[in-house]
Amino acid sequence: MKKKVLAVLLGGCMVAGLLAGCGGDNAATTGDDAATTEEGGESSGGGDYHFEVVVKSFQSTYWQAAIQGIDAAVEELGVTVNTTGPNAESDIADQVNMLNNAISQAPDGIALAANDQSAVLDSLQDALDAEIPVVCFDTGVPDAPEGSVIATIATDNEAAGAVAAENMYPVIKDAIANASGQVRIGEVNQDATSANISGRGMGFINKMKELIEADGKTVAVIGNQFYVDQVENNGDEGSADVIIEVAVPAQTTVELSATEASNIMNKEDTIAIFGSNQVTAEGVLTANSNLNVLAATPDEGIVGVGFDAGATLKAAVADGTLVGAVTQAPVDQGNLAIKALYDYCEGNEVSDIATDSYWYDASNMEEDTIAPNLYD
Amino acid sequence: MANKVSKTAGTNKSFIDRMGGQQFIVLILVIVMFIFFSAMSPGFRKYTTVVSILDYSYYIALMAIGVTFPLLTAGVDLSIGTGLVCYSLIGGLLVRQHGLPVAVGMLVTVLIGLIFGIINGCLVALMDLPPFLATLCTCMITRGFGAMVVGGYGIPWPAAAQEGGWFRSIFKINVGGQNIPIGFLWIILLVIVMSFVLNHTKMGRYTRAIGSNKEATRLSGVNVKFYHIMAYVICGLFAGLAAIAYSAIFATVQPGSGAGFELDAIGGAIVGGVSMSGAVGSIWGTLVGVFVICLLKTGLPFIGLTANWQQIITGLVLIAAVLFDILKRKKEAGK
Amino acid sequence: MGEVILTMKGIDKSFPGVHALDHVDLEIRKGEVHALMGENGAGKSTLMKVLTGIYKKDSGTITYEGKEVEFHNTREAQDAGVVIVHQELNMLGHLTVAQNIFIGREFKKGIRIDDKKMNEEAKKLFDRMHIDIDPTETMSNLTVGKQQMCEIAKAISHKAKVIIFDEPSAALTEAEIEELFKIIRDLRAQDLGIVYISHRMDEIKVITDRVTVMRDGTYVGTLITKDSTKDDIINMMVGRVIYEDPKTKNMTPPGAPVVLKVDHLNAGKMVQDVSFELHKGEVLGFSGLMGAGRTETMRALFGADPIDSGDIYVNGQKVTIKSPQDAVKHGIGYLSEDRKRFGIVVQKTVAENTTMADLDEFANGPFINKKKENEVAQKFVESLATKTPGVDQLVVNLSGGNQQKVVIAKWLTRNCDILIFDEPTRGIDVGAKNEIYKLMNQLAAEGKAIIMVSSEMTEILRMSDRIVVMCEGKKTGELDISEATQENIMNMATREIE
Repeated sequence: MKKKVLAVLLGGCMVAGLLAGCGGDNAATTGDDAATTEEGGESSGGGDYHFEVVVKSFQSTYWQAAIQGIDAAVEELGVTVNTTGPNAESDIADQVNMLNNAISQAPDGIALAANDQSAVLDSLQDALDAEIPVVCFDTGVPDAPEGSVIATIATDNEAAGAVAAENMYPVIKDAIANASGQVRIGEVNQDATSANISGRGMGFINKMKELIEADGKTVAVIGNQFYVDQVENNGDEGSADVIIEVAVPAQTTVELSATEASNIMNKEDTIAIFGSNQVTAEGVLTANSNLNVLAATPDEGIVGVGFDAGATLKAAVADGTLVGAVTQAPVDQGNLAIKALYDYCEGNEVSDIATDSYWYDASNMEEDTIAPNLYD
Repeated sequence: MANKVSKTAGTNKSFIDRMGGQQFIVLILVIVMFIFFSAMSPGFRKYTTVVSILDYSYYIALMAIGVTFPLLTAGVDLSIGTGLVCYSLIGGLLVRQHGLPVAVGMLVTVLIGLIFGIINGCLVALMDLPPFLATLCTCMITRGFGAMVVGGYGIPWPAAAQEGGWFRSIFKINVGGQNIPIGFLWIILLVIVMSFVLNHTKMGRYTRAIGSNKEATRLSGVNVKFYHIMAYVICGLFAGLAAIAYSAIFATVQPGSGAGFELDAIGGAIVGGVSMSGAVGSIWGTLVGVFVICLLKTGLPFIGLTANWQQIITGLVLIAAVLFDILKRKKEAGK
Repeated sequence: MGEVILTMKGIDKSFPGVHALDHVDLEIRKGEVHALMGENGAGKSTLMKVLTGIYKKDSGTITYEGKEVEFHNTREAQDAGVVIVHQELNMLGHLTVAQNIFIGREFKKGIRIDDKKMNEEAKKLFDRMHIDIDPTETMSNLTVGKQQMCEIAKAISHKAKVIIFDEPSAALTEAEIEELFKIIRDLRAQDLGIVYISHRMDEIKVITDRVTVMRDGTYVGTLITKDSTKDDIINMMVGRVIYEDPKTKNMTPPGAPVVLKVDHLNAGKMVQDVSFELHKGEVLGFSGLMGAGRTETMRALFGADPIDSGDIYVNGQKVTIKSPQDAVKHGIGYLSEDRKRFGIVVQKTVAENTTMADLDEFANGPFINKKKENEVAQKFVESLATKTPGVDQLVVNLSGGNQQKVVIAKWLTRNCDILIFDEPTRGIDVGAKNEIYKLMNQLAAEGKAIIMVSSEMTEILRMSDRIVVMCEGKKTGELDISEATQENIMNMATREIE
């Protein structure tokens, strides 16, 4: 299944065939697969709908999991789908361009994971004018023109961030209670512009603050201004019992995330750190490869929590380097996005869906509810 | 060479020129920056931070050593950044998905780098494409090619603890719980080797000669086309080596990334005294210049400057370096 | 003079449209300095390029050391001992002297270049030449004269038996020329055959043994230098050519006002103390050999190069010209010798090129008035008889002559009263040449003042009312057309024998 969509990506690219030797089964770049897609296109039954999907990027394996879900829906409903996306999540203009192209194809519907909520507004208006229904998945577009977005299928990111805080807090609770001086919790966020990351970051901060204050301690949030400004009743940095330090790298590279993480992890009073997406979580792990401070409890070192999956993160959770991580449900999101479009085309009612996020650690990684969402 | 000049005209040369000119100033700058960041941030003066800075410098240093050769021919290679990611993805895919030994994966990585070097060289030297344009095209090609071959998936090379993870200890070994950044030794060794190649072999001599006056070099009976291609081949080879360094330091290689890496490398070379107009520069200078870039990247977050400042300040440092080069040439033209 | 070492016989070479060499002969003996002379474009450099394998000859034979040879590139010629010291120095400024001398044939120890040995060998060469240059010095740190010595050392190091000097003295000071001559005499004493290309009559007399004169790609004759006079040589150079209706008298109306006066203009080495006047309705020819400083004078006058000192008066008013904009403001238009680089934008249309110098005229605010632009362009296409399918044609598709007309139109839209034509007919075929000439005469008759820089003697004599002659950056003479002959122009254009 996965093969099919990938092959769509490569569709038309004659070079694909030449690469059969390098490709292999997972990479799915062989000529055979391209052929499969065409068959799928011709034999599409059902409503014979064609949907365009624009994802955030192909940079993260997260999107590969979402595509897996899309594929499943394609198989099940007998529709055809063409998936595009820019090289990196920061390529906002490229994505808008791709969205416009998708609209001009006049498909039966578009599934969009927007990199920038405001940049896509004009295009959404165009889609509305062209009467093309749009389903937003992964990320909502709150200011979308009335009626253009028929449904949003996204993780409740505030809740997802809170899940990380809820699961981290029990591990560090005693250390905070028994601390003689100030202690520090770090958070590395990839950016301060996307609603997902900032929602997640604030979800973690607010929940953590709430939990700590419930136990009678004070909290000050410092670091990146964007996040600090959103904190209500922020404490005083000098006198607070717990500091939550928020860092944002200049670019979304592992190396700069790692530098920001090292900076926090180097501080004597740091007891825990949270990387709020795959790149920043890997940054924490890269920093740790030299610092070697991550541990299961604050007594032994720094407690690390990640977000999303990927082979590296999964391995780190499995061997206990990270006490755990939060995964979203990309497979479900992709799947539900296509289903929502299909339902709409069939004349059924569709509505927003908030997909779940799950805490996973070494003990529950293999469980059926978790494992499918832990993409490599 | 600079030293030889000063020997003959030593009396009218400034102290700085006698010490190697720009290279010397930049070395001082590196030391000053290091002291400054250490004084400003307790986290920065830790041994582990030094190891981290070195870790993140290897791939930039390797790219920069390589790109020094096209720069010396008055050309450039913009494909090294995306190329690095492309080569690493393909090599990693062979190891991950096809179970090939890591050593073979590494070899393939370097070989693909070499092949793209040959392609760049042929485009520039045989087909007379402007280097900027030719390598911008291969930059785009490698970016798409890498992502296509792996089908959009990020590729994690084997982790240190996994089978085949031995290759990560090429750059860093763990002795009694302490990380030893032995990668730095390899870099120094390569700098010595490539300095020899540049200063004492035909390859290096003609690289500089092409950058100085290509037509005159041709009229002197030198096989200019061959040596011009070789400059890009060396660059491609080093992009391949940089790909290995990158794979060994970072957990996952993400397709579609890599654009912008080449600017760190080219910027480093220029800060280190390599002239964009060719012929002037040294491998040691390049290495020192790379450390200016790396210190800016790692140091500024440590002193609490938001990392956007890093890019602004790096830009300013580059302007200063280029201005220095222009002023120097104006002064020389004036006499 | 010893035995013959090199003979070129019946050398013929054509380029598309040009018969560059027409059965030329040359004979070089051991221990002689043989001058090769001729006007610009006579074929001297081409002949030497054929000899050293840069060009392939169409027919003829080259006999070297008793055997017929054909070199395919400079490397083969060098290896055989025929070496050229180029007009433009072919040096690598960033490399050391020794590295330059041995480029392409470095001494090696294993894979390592043996710089020490190269330095020693270079030192030996310089000792043999009795000059003192440090082999480890960076080339660009040397004076032009010293750089030339290095080129010669390089030639000698090839075990040269024949050395060709292509205008070696052009960039040298008097003292450096003395030194050069000393070296050349040394080489002659060592039985080398030397070809010496130069325009400088005095040098020819001082240093050479024989002179071969070429004209328009043909061999004219060979003289023994000490038995001949300057006039003999000049007569051979200019020959007897039949000119199409040369001007015989000054056509400028008597009492025509001076529109441009240049007073003691200095700009760099190539423009030294140049003064002249230009009258309304006059065609003032600027004659001289290559590198005489004519184009440089015009560029300085037009503000394209900085002026060191001197005054410029337009219509009696002293003006300051610091940039081409200033010049245009004062009604001076410049038609560059290199049309493709400076004159036109080939990828634009006739109309766009026509209005380029005066776009403000054709603009309503930021918008260009296309209609007006096309009208004016059409007017000039008609009045200049430019052959183009329409004003929207891209200039790149026009012939050289018609491109030149577009450039002329461009300056006429600006109402320039002073037009400088720098080599106006270069690269233009004969028919189109006549049209350009007609056009220039017509413009002069309408009261425009024209300066025409030309290297073609025919053109100068046919078009000019008066002639200014330059040589090595200085004005060496001024003639009315009625008194001008090829001989006296050439006399002024070459240096006097001191």
